Amino acid sequence: MHELSIASGLVEKLLDFSEKNPDKKIIEVRLAVGELSHIEEEQLRFCYEAITTETALEGSKLEIEKIDAMVKCPHCLYRGRPKYWDGALSGIPVATLECPSCGKTTEATDGQECAIKSLRFTETSPIAS
Amino acid sequence: MANEGAVHVTLEASPDEIYDIELEHSLLEANAKLAVENRALLDRHGITAIDFMGAIGSGKTTLITKLVERLKSRLGVAVFNGDATTSDDADAIAKQNVPVVQIATINGCHLDANLVGKGLRKIELGNLKLIFIENIGNLICPAEFPLGSKARVVVVSVTEGPWMVRKHPHMFLGAEIVVINKIDLAQAMEVSVEDLVDDVHKLKPDIKVIPTSTKTGAGLDEFEKALLAV
Repeated sequence: MHELSIASGLVEKLLDFSEKNPDKKIIEVRLAVGELSHIEEEQLRFCYEAITTETALEGSKLEIEKIDAMVKCPHCLYRGRPKYWDGALSGIPVATLECPSCGKTTEATDGQECAIKSLRFTETSPIAS
Repeated sequence: MANEGAVHVTLEASPDEIYDIELEHSLLEANAKLAVENRALLDRHGITAIDFMGAIGSGKTTLITKLVERLKSRLGVAVFNGDATTSDDADAIAKQNVPVVQIATINGCHLDANLVGKGLRKIELGNLKLIFIENIGNLICPAEFPLGSKARVVVVSVTEGPWMVRKHPHMFLGAEIVVINKIDLAQAMEVSVEDLVDDVHKLKPDIKVIPTSTKTGAGLDEFEKALLAV
C-alpha cells in the first residue's frame, strides 16, 4: 500500500499550507497522476479520506487527473505515445517501452508523475470582508 | 462578504468566495532527492549499489547469499535487508561474515531512500565496493521509490506461475536486469522460461534477462558478470 505513503506526503504538505494560512480552508485538491506511475486511484482516495478525518482537511475533495504516458526513442528519435501490449492481460492494454517505430527501448518522458497541481480553498475568517 | 453569523464558510461557499492557487509540488520528489544524495555518497566512496526487487519467495535472499559467497574474497561487499517484521533474511546473510544492515519497515511495503540513507551512515563505507539492497518482498510498491542504487534487479521465479511479468509491468520498466529464478523447477511447474523472457522483452526490448537456478548454479556466472558491469 504505497498509496498510504503518498497520501501521507500529500496530507503533510496540505496541513503545512493550512497552518501557514489559518484563514483558508482547503476544499479541493487537484492531483496529476501519471499513467506509468504505480498509483491506484481508488486506494489513494481511500487513504486520503482515512488520514484527513478530524483534521483541517476533513471533507475536502480529491480530484485526480490522469496524465498520458509519452516516450522518446534514443535510437530513431521517435517521440509520442508508447506502444501498448494488447493481449497481455484480459483487462486493459499494458504500456511498454518498446519503440512503436523501430522496436528498440524507449525512455518515458511523461506519465510517471504524482504531483499536486492546484488547491481550491475558501476564506474562513468570520471577520474577513 | 459581511457574513456576521457564520464562523466558517461551508463547503457550499458561493463561487465568488472560492479561490484557486497553482501549486506544482511532486509527491515523489522528497524521496527522489534523498535517492540522489544516497547516490552521491556512494559515488564518492566508489561503491555500486544494486537494488533487488521481487515477490516474497522469489529467491532474492538466496541469490544475494550466493553472490556474496562468490565475491566477498575479491571485493568489499555489504548487504542491506529490507524486511517488514523479521530479521530472518539478514541473519541468513550475516553467516557470510559481511556487513549486514537490517532495515525493518514495520509493515511498510517498500524501502525508501531515507531508510537506506540512514543505513549508509551506520556502516564503514571505506572498504566497500558493492552493496546489495534487498527490497521488501513486493512486486508493486518499490517501483515508485528509487533508493540511489546504480541498477535495479527484478527477480521472478517460475514458481510464481506464468503471468508474473505481465501482471506487474511497471516493475520491469524501471529495471536494468531481470532474473528468472528457480529454472530447475520450470518443468515441474509447467512454466516456460522462454515465455517469461519474451514477456520481459515485450515490455523493454533491450533489457538483460538471465535465467538462473541457485540450486544447480545455472546462470550465476552470467548474473555475476552483469552485476559487475553495471
